[in-house]
Amino acid sequence: MLYTSKLSKSFWFIFVGLVYVFLYAPITVLILYSFNQGGFPDIWRGFSLHWYDDLFESVAIWRAFKHSIIVALTSSFLSVGMGLLWVHGARKYKREITAIFYSNAMVFDIVLAVGLLALFSALAVPFGLTTIIAGHTLLGLGFTIPVIKSRYDELDESLIEASLDLGASTQYTFLNVVIPFLYPAMFSAFLLAMIVSFDDFLIVFFCSGASIQTLSLYIFSMIRSGISPIVNALSTLLLFGSLCMILIMLMFQKNILRK
Amino acid sequence: MKSLFKKEKNFFFMIPALVWQVLFFILPLIFVFQLAFFTKLFQNFTWDYIQQVCHFSHFIVIFRSLKLASVTAVLCLLIGYPIAYFLALCTDQRYKSLLLFLITLPFLTNILVQIYAWYFILEKKGVLNKFLSLFLSDTGNWLNTSFAMYLVMFHIYLPFMIMPLYTILEKMNVRLIEASLDLGASYLQTFFRAVLPLSLQGIKTGFFLVYVTTFGEYVVPSLLGGQKHFFVGTLISEYFFIGRDWHVGAAFTCLSIAVFVVSIMCYSEILQRLVYRLQRI
Repeated sequence: MLYTSKLSKSFWFIFVGLVYVFLYAPITVLILYSFNQGGFPDIWRGFSLHWYDDLFESVAIWRAFKHSIIVALTSSFLSVGMGLLWVHGARKYKREITAIFYSNAMVFDIVLAVGLLALFSALAVPFGLTTIIAGHTLLGLGFTIPVIKSRYDELDESLIEASLDLGASTQYTFLNVVIPFLYPAMFSAFLLAMIVSFDDFLIVFFCSGASIQTLSLYIFSMIRSGISPIVNALSTLLLFGSLCMILIMLMFQKNILRK
Repeated sequence: MKSLFKKEKNFFFMIPALVWQVLFFILPLIFVFQLAFFTKLFQNFTWDYIQQVCHFSHFIVIFRSLKLASVTAVLCLLIGYPIAYFLALCTDQRYKSLLLFLITLPFLTNILVQIYAWYFILEKKGVLNKFLSLFLSDTGNWLNTSFAMYLVMFHIYLPFMIMPLYTILEKMNVRLIEASLDLGASYLQTFFRAVLPLSLQGIKTGFFLVYVTTFGEYVVPSLLGGQKHFFVGTLISEYFFIGRDWHVGAAFTCLSIAVFVVSIMCYSEILQRLVYRLQRI
């Protein structure tokens, strides 16, 4: 419809195709070489899964993975819970009041990370999982509140009124009318917060103290010390994990649309 | 609790999130300012640290970061706009969701995984040099160059630009474009006079999303940029971790925020004027 001629049509396709190739080439090479028989400087030596075996045997990676999971689950749970309460509480206030959370994702991370470091050490809070969770919950709020709010805006007030008129208590209405309506949004928000927490590097880097390592931090130190195909295998699994999460998220959104 | 729905405003529910926001967002920012201006915890006000930081070498670092952020944002805008335009207005509905999904996927994968992927390719014995050595006798070193840094920054932040642009272009009324074409405007005229001004909000959102996140970038400069040059992110962490000079580090943070805010206001004005200037084409 908006093409000018046959020539520019093929130009468009080549241009868009090249950008997609550019976006996906590094990841493809990375995944391919995680199945390589040989070590890093080698070229392709045949298919093998032995880097995955090494990955599953590495104690350090399992520990980092455990920390990442604990932090991601706790902070997503907290940020979804607090976000839900906030959205419900703020519905009668001006819309702008919710904007204070949008800045969480907009301020450049390093200022926040340095600030948390300064705060925690001034108050002598020991660094560890709790400090990371505090930071990640804050990041999560910036993503969960907009997602839950956009669903809450679609909630028909008359549903609540009907429930109350028919004799349901306010608590019953909140738990059985409002929350079920928000379930899909809460679930998407939860997965989004988990991804954000998994991806974060700077807050972990500044607020973890010396003892705690998460997967991001582990990959960072591995890159510094040189390349190992174990990291390729780890990256492949992480990519697969986030792919699954996004697919689940999309399926939930499709369901909302159908209903 | 009877008043859960009846009462107009229930502040009670907002308390947890608000407390969290104050404790871990506003308070940390106050503490950074406190470190920059006081020698002890909110005692002994001094300008010393700020004076120490207001030095030529520090401004060079800030301008290097401004340059990195500007170049990345402009590159992403120039390449991202056509992609967003294509996705929103020229794609069949059938392929649209797949193509869009392929844009969001790197957006949500771990940044370190993406950097590692590039590291793997750009390494001295990496895939790119293996490939080049088939044709050339001596191959260059790609890591620790500014080329590698800009390339990876562009790769990581391109989806950040495409998403807001797509959202705004998708909402655009196609009738306007058709009307403009029917009334005899050329494709270029239609683009510059109708499409571009209408998508100004998306351009601003995408541009600043990329600009803000790249300005404080730490990981890419420290892993791919080499140790020769400091950027804002790497210098701040240097002060806090290696130099252990937190006061000066905080003062530098404040200074870079100040310069940064001014630069954002300039860019906002420039983008607006540029879009309106292009209408005369």
